[in-house]
Amino acid sequence: MTKKAFRPDVDAPEWKGGHTPYDIIKEGTIAVLVIALLTLILAVVFGSPDETAITIKSWSNADPIDFATTALSELNGTSTSAAYGAPYNHNGTSQQIGPLQLAKWVGVRIPINAAQAFVIQPLKALPNEPTLDAGLAKYTSASSSTQTTWLNAYAKAATNMKFVKGQVVVSAPSAGPVPVMINDLTTMARSGALDQDLLNDNGFYTTDYTKPLLFLADGQYLGNLATEQHLGGDQWGMMNETGNYPGQSWLWLYTFWYQIPPFNNSGNGDALVWGVMMVLSVLLLLVPVIPGLRSVPRKLRIYRLIWREHYRDSGGTS
Amino acid sequence: MATILSFAAIFPLNTLGHYIHWHWFYISVANLIVIILMVVTFVSALLLPFPGRRRRKENQ
Repeated sequence: MTKKAFRPDVDAPEWKGGHTPYDIIKEGTIAVLVIALLTLILAVVFGSPDETAITIKSWSNADPIDFATTALSELNGTSTSAAYGAPYNHNGTSQQIGPLQLAKWVGVRIPINAAQAFVIQPLKALPNEPTLDAGLAKYTSASSSTQTTWLNAYAKAATNMKFVKGQVVVSAPSAGPVPVMINDLTTMARSGALDQDLLNDNGFYTTDYTKPLLFLADGQYLGNLATEQHLGGDQWGMMNETGNYPGQSWLWLYTFWYQIPPFNNSGNGDALVWGVMMVLSVLLLLVPVIPGLRSVPRKLRIYRLIWREHYRDSGGTS
Repeated sequence: MATILSFAAIFPLNTLGHYIHWHWFYISVANLIVIILMVVTFVSALLLPFPGRRRRKENQ
């Protein structure tokens, strides 16, 4: 029986040297204590990011015209979430990698009809609003083509939208009940009632902010604030933090792809970047079995730098 | 309340961030400092002798 040849990247040679006791519990405890102390000191000295939460109420008070314009886009189906596709609706192709329609395969798991969820249903929840109730009844009972005519008339006039004395002012006499609906939704938003209405779960602890977040993201306001804080996708935002705090620098590779073509100009950028990162992650997992790549640590010889004493004592042979 | 807030952060970093922008390279000063510290820690871990090395040698 012939002896198998020694493979330097796979086989481990038999250790014939001495042994030194090593207390990993002691080292682990010291490491945890040092990190805990450092964390405490840094927290006391620098604090932590403490940005005020952005709500529908704060948005509609800071920029009521952007809110009203976004509300219109939800109603006429032109907002990002209204036309996104899966997992919210069937109105778009959503994220895909070539022929792989990833989002479509997952399906509509969080069904959201933008017009109903963001405008009509919240308005129906408002009590003691006879004018609005009549307008809503008129809108919901109108044919689809009539609704489109009203919405188009409002959209055309909305380019000159003004906000005067707490009211959305749009001169659109042929827009049916749409001006009342948009104005009342803006008033509702500015009072904070829309924030509450858009929450899915009515329990004491609320954790599902899907609808308010989608609505916020459809407007310009949130994006502008993010850009101001260097959190935009084209600003390496994934690895940044608000203010002067360090962010998630370990996400540098993930956010790097968003800066270069084809990822930065593709509608499927998220899926493409995810795909690239999955391929790279699999490559990393398979390093030990990829010839050539698995030899890199041995050829770089950094291990000889770490264990230099051993190699010096043994004459650099083992 | 003011006392608690001032005690919580001696040098709060909530002011608008400082960034370095050079062609496609775009990084916050805070992230750059953290990355430099990580590299320095890594290189130090490679180059500095293991603690207790001298004591072990004396015992041998």
